[in-house]
Amino acid sequence: MAEHATAQERLFALRETIARLEGKAVPALVAARQAKAAQAPQDMAKELRRLPLGVPAVDNALEGGMPLDGLTEIRTAFFRDAGSATGFVLALAALLQGEHGRKEEEVSNPVLWIGDRACAQEAGLPYALGLMQFGLKPRQFLYALPRKLEDALWIAETALASGAPAATILEVRGNPAHFGLTESRRLALRAKDTGRPLILLRQAGDEEASSALFRFRLEPAPALERRLPDGSMLGGSIGHPLFRLTLEKSRHPAPLSFTLEWNPRDRQFDLLQPSIPSFPALRPADPVDRFSASADRPDRPAEMGTLVAFDRAS
Amino acid sequence: MRLVALDEAAEAIGLRRGQGLAEARAIHPRLDVIEEDPAADRAFLEAVADWCDRYTPLVAIDEEDGLLLDITGCAHLFGGEEALLNDVLLRLFQMGLDVRGAIAGWPGLSWAACRFGRCGVVVDEDRQGMTATLPVASLRLSEDLVSSLQKFGLKRVGDLLSLPRAPLVRRFGSQVLLRLDQIVGAVEEPISPRRPVPLLSSERRQIEPIQVEEDILHVTEEVARMLLPGLEARGAGGRVFELMLFRVDGRVFRIEAEASRPLRDPKRIAALFSERLKAIHDDLDAGFGFEILRLNVLQHDDFQLAQGDFEGQGERSATLAELVDRVTARLGRNVLQGFDLRESHIPEKASVFLPAADGLAEGRKSETGFGFRGGERPLRLFRYPEQVETVTAEVPDGPPFRFRWRRMVHEVLRAEGPERISSEWWLDNQDEAERDYFRLEVRTGQRLWIYRRGHYHENQPPGWFVQGIFA
Repeated sequence: MAEHATAQERLFALRETIARLEGKAVPALVAARQAKAAQAPQDMAKELRRLPLGVPAVDNALEGGMPLDGLTEIRTAFFRDAGSATGFVLALAALLQGEHGRKEEEVSNPVLWIGDRACAQEAGLPYALGLMQFGLKPRQFLYALPRKLEDALWIAETALASGAPAATILEVRGNPAHFGLTESRRLALRAKDTGRPLILLRQAGDEEASSALFRFRLEPAPALERRLPDGSMLGGSIGHPLFRLTLEKSRHPAPLSFTLEWNPRDRQFDLLQPSIPSFPALRPADPVDRFSASADRPDRPAEMGTLVAFDRAS
Repeated sequence: MRLVALDEAAEAIGLRRGQGLAEARAIHPRLDVIEEDPAADRAFLEAVADWCDRYTPLVAIDEEDGLLLDITGCAHLFGGEEALLNDVLLRLFQMGLDVRGAIAGWPGLSWAACRFGRCGVVVDEDRQGMTATLPVASLRLSEDLVSSLQKFGLKRVGDLLSLPRAPLVRRFGSQVLLRLDQIVGAVEEPISPRRPVPLLSSERRQIEPIQVEEDILHVTEEVARMLLPGLEARGAGGRVFELMLFRVDGRVFRIEAEASRPLRDPKRIAALFSERLKAIHDDLDAGFGFEILRLNVLQHDDFQLAQGDFEGQGERSATLAELVDRVTARLGRNVLQGFDLRESHIPEKASVFLPAADGLAEGRKSETGFGFRGGERPLRLFRYPEQVETVTAEVPDGPPFRFRWRRMVHEVLRAEGPERISSEWWLDNQDEAERDYFRLEVRTGQRLWIYRRGHYHENQPPGWFVQGIFA
């Protein structure tokens, strides 16, 4: 019996060591914490250093909210969703800045956006008046546009290590070879050291192994109409932006989808019903079927690249 | 082709400057001739001038082959004028240069003494006698003037000095008198240094030259500590610093670094250079090491002593400044930027980017100073509006239904607008057409900010442009 107990103890010790290596919570503490969380979810978010998004369903999925000491990845499948992705990331930043700004009226830590040359060329530069209307403080916004990805990574690491920015946003295009698991792990560790969040915005990128705690895939949804003071909707108008999010990477087994609306005036997210319509599907770019491969000849050469746009016949 | 410069051997066999090359070859067929390269000569002279910075910060280049050093107040550091001159000449001689040098009370006399008289320090006792015996060519006059003076038998400066001044001006012009006054020191002649004089400067001479980056940074910190009393006495902190590294073989490196706010802390000054050194790592060749390190303050601002508060507010803005400094030092001024809001209703003029270092330096303006009342503005604005083609829109001022942008046809699902923005007619040359802005939601899910420039006219449809994207 005593032997069995010793073995158990060694097993627990090993599990704890592994948990520490992986930067996760020690399993023995997790059980206690879960019991506590059931009583007071607010305290739990604070203890885990999470930023609650203010939507209970989402916060539960995120174990309290967006991590304040780690890496969160947002990715879009197509470059045309760049505007929407920018909006969601900036909404998170506004939430963060608001959190700090409420306590101290004058100065809060700035948000640092590390841009990418190609994205800046295609999707434009941040615009102060737009940011202001979106709920951010333009004077507490820094924008870096380095020439190379290595420089961008260096800025991100330096910024995280200094702990000066309230949030660091790193924008990359696609899945660059120089930004793999090693680099993202390095950034995540830096973020953990100083307790500052890093948001990775991957424009037009594929799923890739990274050390992000959570990864969202984002696409836009048609905006609702503007709400009038009496509760009715103003026909034909374009209201607050809507984000259709899929939680691709988390501790949850199944991906979770939900639609959020950002209200810049109140700086808060609203969860919408899943019945929100999506954009009408684009007609397939090339509707004509290709001939089937011949049996008596070698196969045709593989296609290169992907077809981005194709003229419509009519 | 003519000879412009000769070495000792060539002088010994009787060649002279200005001689034709063919003639010289006829005298001595085995001449080794190198084509003149004035740019390289100049660069070399600049390098020597840089090296001379070790004696005084006031170094001026004199014509093609001379340097003027203002050693006022510097001589005692090297053990007197005689010792200073010997040191300069000896070191340059060891570098393989044939140099003549003289020290006198003013530039005109030292120029003449160096080129035409006895080299060395001109002492007060024999100054008058020496000046009188110098040839008229030592007056820095044009060649024509010198030869016409010589035709009149005026061979020495003393001959001119004994003449009445008025007839001299009438015959030879005022230039002669000016030069005469300059050689006797009756007229002040300023030396214009090639570089601005630093406000503060401190240096360290190493007995053992240093090569390694860590050592350089360590010594930089030491030197920065020596600057501290000077900065404190002025109540200032440095904004722009210059680190000068004198290599043992005479080459001088200058590294400039800028801080976003006035600095005094030696550690942070050294940290500025640590990023700069990493950025220029390949260009900095330590060779056999650096023997002198000098730190100059080129620009300084008032330094506000801040007492640490309990909430750590001051500390936080200090870390931000440190971050900005590091990025600026390593990647340049324009990489990290902040916003500056301008009161203009033309969208692209209302918000401009400024280097973050400048933004921090001028201090934060209050957030409430700018009230914007207008329609919704996009989150991202294109650097230049992009023209769209084949627009079908409601005439005269409705939103578009369909347009072609970036090689793709976009169908508009919903539109908001127009918001009309006129040009700033109260400014000169700002007579552009009016713009009607629309917010569009297109079929692909993008929300675009698009405008029509001008109105519909006969045979001339207006242009449509996409200027930004919304969330």
